[in-house]
Amino acid sequence: MATKSGNATALTVLSPIKNGTMGEISYADITRERCLRLPIHENSPLAKVPNTYLARLFILDDVFYESLPGSDSVFNFSDIFSFFSDQARRDALPKIDHLKSKYLVFSSNFHGDLNEYLAGMWENWTYNDQGIQHDVRYIWEHCVAFDEVTDCNSFISYIKRCQLDASLFFNGSTDDSLQEQLKALYLKQEFTKFVTTHQGKSAIEIQQAFKRFIERVQPENLSGPSWIPGQSNP
Amino acid sequence: MSNIAGKAYAMNVVTPIRWYMVWINRLIFKIALSRPSTLKGLITLSLIHYARWVIIPKDGFPHLHPSQPKENLHYSYMLFFSNFNGSWDQYVDSFTFAIPSGLDLFWKWNIRYPKSVPLTPFHDYIKYNQIDTAHYYSAYPMAASNDVKSAKIVKKALIDFKSASIEKNPDEFLIDYNNLLNELQLEFGEMRPTPIVSLSADAVKQRYLQSQSHHYI
Amino acid sequence: MTKNLDLTDIQGNIVKAYGAYNFHKARYLFMRIDNGDKGRKFVGTITTKVTTAVHWTKDDASTGVAKPLVTTNIAFTYSGLKALELPRASLKGFPEDFVMGMRERKDILGDDGPSDPKHWDKIWQETVHIWISINGQTIDAVNERYEWILKQIEASDGGVKLLTGHRGENGEDDLPYQDASVLYDASGNPTAKEHFGYTDGIGDPVFEGQTNIPDRVLGRGKLTREGGWEPLATGEFILGHVDEAMEYPRTAPAPDLLSNNGTYMVYRKLHENVGSFNRFLDEQSKIFPGSKEMLAAKFSGRWRDNGAPIVNAPDDESKKVWDEKFAEADFAAKKRMLTDFTYNQDIGGAKCPLSAHIRRINPRGSLEYGVKDAFDTPGALVNRRRILRRGLPYGKVTDPIRDDGNHGIIFMALNVDINRQFEFVQQQWINYANDFKEGNDKEVLLGNHDAKNPGKVVLQVEKGSGKPPHFVCNIPRLVETRGGDYFFIPSITALKMIAGGIIDPT
Repeated sequence: MATKSGNATALTVLSPIKNGTMGEISYADITRERCLRLPIHENSPLAKVPNTYLARLFILDDVFYESLPGSDSVFNFSDIFSFFSDQARRDALPKIDHLKSKYLVFSSNFHGDLNEYLAGMWENWTYNDQGIQHDVRYIWEHCVAFDEVTDCNSFISYIKRCQLDASLFFNGSTDDSLQEQLKALYLKQEFTKFVTTHQGKSAIEIQQAFKRFIERVQPENLSGPSWIPGQSNP
Repeated sequence: MSNIAGKAYAMNVVTPIRWYMVWINRLIFKIALSRPSTLKGLITLSLIHYARWVIIPKDGFPHLHPSQPKENLHYSYMLFFSNFNGSWDQYVDSFTFAIPSGLDLFWKWNIRYPKSVPLTPFHDYIKYNQIDTAHYYSAYPMAASNDVKSAKIVKKALIDFKSASIEKNPDEFLIDYNNLLNELQLEFGEMRPTPIVSLSADAVKQRYLQSQSHHYI
Repeated sequence: MTKNLDLTDIQGNIVKAYGAYNFHKARYLFMRIDNGDKGRKFVGTITTKVTTAVHWTKDDASTGVAKPLVTTNIAFTYSGLKALELPRASLKGFPEDFVMGMRERKDILGDDGPSDPKHWDKIWQETVHIWISINGQTIDAVNERYEWILKQIEASDGGVKLLTGHRGENGEDDLPYQDASVLYDASGNPTAKEHFGYTDGIGDPVFEGQTNIPDRVLGRGKLTREGGWEPLATGEFILGHVDEAMEYPRTAPAPDLLSNNGTYMVYRKLHENVGSFNRFLDEQSKIFPGSKEMLAAKFSGRWRDNGAPIVNAPDDESKKVWDEKFAEADFAAKKRMLTDFTYNQDIGGAKCPLSAHIRRINPRGSLEYGVKDAFDTPGALVNRRRILRRGLPYGKVTDPIRDDGNHGIIFMALNVDINRQFEFVQQQWINYANDFKEGNDKEVLLGNHDAKNPGKVVLQVEKGSGKPPHFVCNIPRLVETRGGDYFFIPSITALKMIAGGIIDPT
């Protein structure tokens, strides 16, 4: 059950990576390298996954040991016991935790239904790395039990097994579809150019020009001229 | 390059939280969500696209197959993911100064959280627990969160104006047009690539662009 | 929270803007140290004449110190401190921005195109170590002090070299110093103007430890929730004191005696394209619904003639009213009229545009966007971005339709954290505008406008008035960087210790 804010959805996926190596390189490092080599902006495979607002991938190697000093606002009885026992003082130090596997973390903010989104990942995720086209399996290839994924449905169930709920999802933007957002950005850009260019002109001139402007930019047509996902140049 | 996608910066913070505090945090988040006034500062700051907190109970790490060793942890963990605009420093500073008590609210129960004021221990706490992103994607690298919100306003106003006024006689059209511009006067900022928030990130980006221009396929 | 500053330990230029004390002439010298020993000896000698921040008495009473005819202050680049052989353990405590120097930070500052370091005055193609300033009430006083300094350089026997390479009035490019001066009006009276005609130097920040705070803090300190003003924390401007983040500035190198009571200075020679400005203002005012002076005021946030803040005098009519009130006000009231204001009644920018110069460099409480109690204090996003401004115009405009004369401003910004304060304002508020919800629209006067992709600003109008906003498009680059660097201004104690070679953080 992914977390929503209106129609915006937060997907958090932690997929355990197989322990072990392929030759002299670990599965985690292979996965990490593949992530680092993903092309960016409009060439990212995420640009092809419909309705992706912002998304990221990284490897969680381990958790951190909190050696920094802090001021815990929680009262601990150990604060008192430490006066009397060195063991109590030592026990009160933060414990050292270690993860037994590394995790591929995928966090996505997108519009709409989770199942549709995951199907979109399976069907549309594609990019070129060193001359070869890859799909979504190339990133998840070395995750535990990913070899059981053979089709769209098994991919969706796999991701759902790896999914975590958000306790708080803050939406500081909009929850419109990506197409809406991109079209709106395109219109903002184009209309700004229009109004500055036509400052001071006569009523007739502006009206005629505006009609031509509307024909060109087609404000209500989401498939008409617009920004492309990941567009990095004006 | 990894933590930045145009005007957006990806921050990932992982911190341990006492297992019995998990429920208190969930409660706090619930309250925060149901009381918009709690988030007033966050909304006014306007720097964030989307942000989330995820709590992983210590037995909550996904376990998919018997061959995968089960996690055996003392603590539960809190994941914080943010997509924001500006540099790391600007972002963290904004929070410390604008909503210090809000920050404390969210991180209070984490192990050795130092409180958000004074600044440097808080900076250190976040940096220390931050993990770098390997791949970061924004659908609109040239747009800040402000731009996305502004664009929505422009689109609606433009479409409404078109229906109401495009066929009026020129003089009436002009009156409506001027009203439209007046209404949208705070929405006309240019959108172009971002100023550099990090020299090292920029250097990596320049090298990447150079390598792309040698790319052949 | 009262505190007393050790005024005798702080260099005078940190606490005083000399121009306001009748020091109308200035000369800036730059040196290179070629021998550590001799360099230190030189610093020791100069220090005997360094002006402190001590109070000047108004008369010749025996209490206090009489105002001198001339002042001298000294500062160093990172390379300079290295050449003086400060220990590595101290050097590594300096912040990255200062260590890199201004030239290497050009991408952050937007010093591109005509402002690129390769176009800077010849002197800035060299490594500068020392900055010395002479501020005089007369040019003779300046010359006298200059001669004395030259003597000390000579006495260093090759240990210290005066660098040449400043551009001059008549096309020279190798002058041994940079002169600056107030501008004079037609009758020869000194003014507070710069070459675009704006009245400058109003509204320096006020911080704890300064004197006469109640008189000066209105509009110049930080805003309280109740709408009053308080002085800013000293540690925003002077090292070794607590700052607005409730800690000591982390930009202070070890040991304490090296950094306490010191600060950092950004020195920038800014050439003003007077011809372009006049042409641009003329052209734009033809299509602007208001007078030319009103348009000029919209760019800056203050009217050119007397610095009236446009938020309180948004058009020609209200300016007349403001002027009358100003004429009748006494000295203290005049100052308040000039500095005591907020943008709280003008969140939408109809009076003072969101792109106006003074609004961009100091938004006061307006980044809260009128949402009451959104932040801890109304100035939460602004209080850590303030800078002390020092400096004077240089050169003369002989032909107001040309850009290629020698005229501009020697601009100095003093702050404890160059990256957090000066560079932030330059990069995020002048050359960018997301915090103002204006996207990439740069500030008109100082923005690094791109000739190939010229930008625009929007001059907002009253909401619901039916009037469209006014667009100012195709903004040319009006100010170009011609040189500069980042300097450390040590305290008197630190100067003596540097001179004595006894800095040691063990």
